[in-house]
Amino acid sequence: MKITLTVNATDYPLDVEPRRILADVLREDCRLTGTHLGCEHGVCGACTVLVDGEAVRSCLMLAVQCDGRSVRTVEGLAGADGGPHPLQRAFSAEHALQCGFCTPGFLMLAAGALDADPDLAEHPERVDSLVGSNLCRCTGYAPIRRAILRAAEEQQRLDLQA
Amino acid sequence: MSTWTRREDERLLSGRGRYVADIQVPGCLDAAFVRSRVAHGTLRDVDCAAARQVPGVVGAWSAADLHDLPPCAHATADLPDLPPMPHTVLANLSSDEAVAGREWPVLVKDRVRYPGEAVAVVLGEDRYRAEDGAAEVTVRIDPLPAVVTPEAALDDTVRLFEGLSNVALEGSTGQPVDESVWQHAAAVVEGRYRQALLLPTPMECRTLLAVPDGDRLTVWSGHQAPHRLRRELAAALGWPAERIRVVVPDTGGAFGSKSASFPEYVAVAFLAVRLGRPVRWIEDRLESMLVATRGRGQDQRVRLAADADGRLLAYELHIDADVGAYPHIGAGLPMQTAWMATGPYTTPRVHATLRSVLTNTMTTYPYRGPGRAEATMALERSMDTLADRLGIDPAELRRRNLIPPDRFPYETPTGRRYDSGNYAAALDLALESLGYDAWRAEQARRRADPHALPLGIGLSCYVERSGGEPGGLHEFGSLEVGEDGVITARCGAASSGQSHETVLPALVAASLGVDADRVRLVDGDTGEQADGVGSFASRTAQVSGALLSHLSALLADEARDRAAKLWDLPPETVRWSGGTVHGPHDGAPAMDLAALVRATGPLRVDDRFESAMAFPFGTHAAVAEVDPELGTVRVLRLVTVDDCGVVLDPAVVHAQAFGSAVQGLGQALYEGMCFDDDGVPVLTDGLLDYLLPTAAEVPPFVGRDTCTPSPATRLGAKGAGESGCIGTPAAVVNAVADALRPADRDVLQLPLTPERVWRAAR
Amino acid sequence: MKPPVFDYVAPRSVRETVDALGDPGRTAAVIAGGQSLLLEMHLWRRRPDLVVDVNRVAGLDGLGVDGGSLRVGALVRHAAFEAPQAVPGPLGTLFQQAVTNIAHPPIRARGTLVGSLAWAHPASEWCAVALALDADLTLRDSDGARQVPARDYFQGPHRTARRPRELITSVRFPLLSDDTGVAFIEHRRTHFCFATVAVSATLTVRDGVITGSRIGLVNASDRPVRALAAEQSLLGAEIADDLYHRAGRAAAEQDAAPVAEPFADPGYKRQAVAVLVGRALRRAAADQRSRAAGRTEGLR
Repeated sequence: MKITLTVNATDYPLDVEPRRILADVLREDCRLTGTHLGCEHGVCGACTVLVDGEAVRSCLMLAVQCDGRSVRTVEGLAGADGGPHPLQRAFSAEHALQCGFCTPGFLMLAAGALDADPDLAEHPERVDSLVGSNLCRCTGYAPIRRAILRAAEEQQRLDLQA
Repeated sequence: MSTWTRREDERLLSGRGRYVADIQVPGCLDAAFVRSRVAHGTLRDVDCAAARQVPGVVGAWSAADLHDLPPCAHATADLPDLPPMPHTVLANLSSDEAVAGREWPVLVKDRVRYPGEAVAVVLGEDRYRAEDGAAEVTVRIDPLPAVVTPEAALDDTVRLFEGLSNVALEGSTGQPVDESVWQHAAAVVEGRYRQALLLPTPMECRTLLAVPDGDRLTVWSGHQAPHRLRRELAAALGWPAERIRVVVPDTGGAFGSKSASFPEYVAVAFLAVRLGRPVRWIEDRLESMLVATRGRGQDQRVRLAADADGRLLAYELHIDADVGAYPHIGAGLPMQTAWMATGPYTTPRVHATLRSVLTNTMTTYPYRGPGRAEATMALERSMDTLADRLGIDPAELRRRNLIPPDRFPYETPTGRRYDSGNYAAALDLALESLGYDAWRAEQARRRADPHALPLGIGLSCYVERSGGEPGGLHEFGSLEVGEDGVITARCGAASSGQSHETVLPALVAASLGVDADRVRLVDGDTGEQADGVGSFASRTAQVSGALLSHLSALLADEARDRAAKLWDLPPETVRWSGGTVHGPHDGAPAMDLAALVRATGPLRVDDRFESAMAFPFGTHAAVAEVDPELGTVRVLRLVTVDDCGVVLDPAVVHAQAFGSAVQGLGQALYEGMCFDDDGVPVLTDGLLDYLLPTAAEVPPFVGRDTCTPSPATRLGAKGAGESGCIGTPAAVVNAVADALRPADRDVLQLPLTPERVWRAAR
Repeated sequence: MKPPVFDYVAPRSVRETVDALGDPGRTAAVIAGGQSLLLEMHLWRRRPDLVVDVNRVAGLDGLGVDGGSLRVGALVRHAAFEAPQAVPGPLGTLFQQAVTNIAHPPIRARGTLVGSLAWAHPASEWCAVALALDADLTLRDSDGARQVPARDYFQGPHRTARRPRELITSVRFPLLSDDTGVAFIEHRRTHFCFATVAVSATLTVRDGVITGSRIGLVNASDRPVRALAAEQSLLGAEIADDLYHRAGRAAAEQDAAPVAEPFADPGYKRQAVAVLVGRALRRAAADQRSRAAGRTEGLR
């Protein structure tokens, strides 16, 4: 089936089998391997990407369902100037990753929430709910939670300055 | 300050990490395995004909189609981490006769021995097509009765290998305890503990990509010990190891589960070589849950005796270990438990015995803290039972028995020589960090209030072993200086998330007195480093770190020698500082490394460096609240105090310690499998059935450490990262037992599911 | 874990959808949120040869009150019920409490309430709520529409009265009166698994006397359960704490028919039903009191 995915603002005209999940098409057809498959049944969240700004498990979505829609992956997280996203800096600062396999999923989950919710820093319970959405086997989660809060606080400060 | 805390971070945070599944090789085929649905049975027929007709399928083979498929390496005698086997073990497991009788075939030939064992392999143009093909393979297996616990397998009424006992190994350490000791003791407590089979569950499952090129083969694998994998693949293929290069790219966690070779690896390498095409196997989660290695799996029986003052008199531990269907490296792991049975106490008599029992489950393997976690659980649960029996506070009972600092090095009755420790300091810091007395007061208040939920406090004092066993305490590596002054460190380690790229160059830089930016690490690549041992048993800082420190000293010596020759000075007058060689006085010549290399030619030092075992220790403490009506456990506070000697990078070590403690929490409360009546694990909904801790389960946490350097290792470093899996589970279980004070503490078996806790509370 | 081959259509109207579903030569599956369907397909438990994507069908995303009931269209995501006041009155409170127990935000952003009813997992929160509240499902095929009450709809694990050719276009829930208190309580082993047991409870009180109660049990049988014996034990009684305990026992012993699961045998599940029903009713009673207090406050 012919579809067009807009991934990180680049159009990808593709011919894909309907059964191919979004994650596989991003990884193999678009060659964006930053999105990882950790369980392929929607539990771990390593494959989380943003579809039209909303965080979704890309193993629980067919690529054909995303025809004409906008997808953002970890490769598209950095700023337009190529500088790191506040989340990327905060994850590093807080040791919120060790092996890094689940990391892109947590980053995109948090990126979607930060975009949708400029006051995230004031709602630690929403951050809890985000961190509670994905699995990580290395960090024990607390560093991830601290990193997301740190990035949210930084974003809030920047918003205030602006 | 740099944007990135670790060198790994920039690529891993921007999607530019490269895990095996990310490597694009033109024409690469994907493997899918057809797996047995039964746990035990006789294979009658495998028909791959229909699979071969499926579009996109390149080939499909059963064992009968691949007569020359070599078996999976039997690594029992060939893993440096493993204990040297008692003679009986060698006779049982490593004689040609015994191994031949218990061969682990790559594809089942005649008998299925664990559920999910591969009976055929299908190669497709991609994984979708390979799975399409696998679905068309028809398999006929006549089921046999399955035995999935040591208890069921012990009596040999169902044998996994005809004519051979299911008991693959028997062993013991220490001396049998005289019956009079038990008879005259003021208190003797007994316990039976089941250490559940656990799934290590790294977020990236197992991976192997084999790329043939002429008479050479390059293998990419998420792996902890690339040289070992190379050696075993070479043996399987009948090739000299030099023709195989194993490269470990980014690896998504391992926790002990990626240190060996597996049937699937051999099949993929074999087919890649046979077909002359790149082939990969990217294990999916359901496969992983069914056929990746399991950890733990021990049935323990203990006796612990003390005098009226609570001084320990004797401890006896018997283990029936579930080692899975083939006597692979897990068969020797229970010895690790036996050797660590003494724990941190001065108990004068300790005797540990074990049987390693074959069962119809996937093989048992190291999982973070192997052997030591089981030893700690058995002893620390028993200590609480004893404290209760004697009416002594559990902290006080431990304090009275901890090995005092002036007794090190300490020879245990079970054959270990502990290097150093201040066990009481760790206990005291844990109690202080927890606010032990305040929680005891809260417990008393609740016990007086019929409406309050019961609350318990659990302690766990542990000592573990890091670095490996004699014969495997060395590592190989080199330091090389380029003309640009960049220093390349190479060693046999392989990172699966432990920050090697950051920590090891920093260590070399500090040793040489140069800027860390000038040092880079190359590890996990047999093409770069000819010999190596790997990263397991918490050995990288302790052993590879010692090696790199040693190489730094060699490099400085070599630089001074060269400068001395160049300047025609006695070598002892040339000083090394800040990456520069200096003459003996002010105004004398000085030359930095880059200039020295330009002047004197390539500079490289290579060596093998032998380290020693070390014994990290600590105390973990937990406070748990129990809802007795539902059996739910809420951990209100978790405190870990760990001592791993000299720490190379505190932030990295603390991060690993915390992650490890959360895994330990999972081990105590959530992780475990049930089997159906036919011996097949019930994992219908994958990770919705095998429950890892999530963020919602993480308790308020305080992590502290003490530092008692190891006199036995070059840096004073002991291993880190496994402490949480070793110390935390017993603290949590003891807290629950302390809350409920059940008449029979053995009701509380792992994992402490709500159902089990509810039954204990009734 | 890759899904088998299938064809895919994305119709724009209900008509086109039911026509696609009516193709007699094919096993069709409807995908809305896809959070359960794709799970089943990855596990090869469902192998449709046609997937009908209804996400572009106009008119299925309606959520609103008309008459005395709430109408939830087939494309309304779980997340829609997380916002306060998404649904008026006590029903909204119940929905809000129930929905937070469903998976986590990314799943709730895609998955749909109607999809949960279609999947009919024994541990589904929505199925028990729908059954307890006498929800009414609208099913359509190419011949027309029919209404199926929830009590006739659930027939077993993943078995319902829906015929393969039918699309569930919407479901209606009767609104709850202001003198009704509600509670939804769930018990599960970790944040990431199906409910061991959960309970949806409503309690209507007039002049201190219980005039109505609706209790739904999640995962207390191979299908959702309405705890009629427990409800019966409450009717006409004056509000009192021991009532809830008794109702819990009735639910456990008479209404529940638990199926053994790993780490939860039927005996334990009955215990959990008894405890959760008691707790849910207590909480519903407290909710009812605070609503009554709020109304009094409002009148002043």
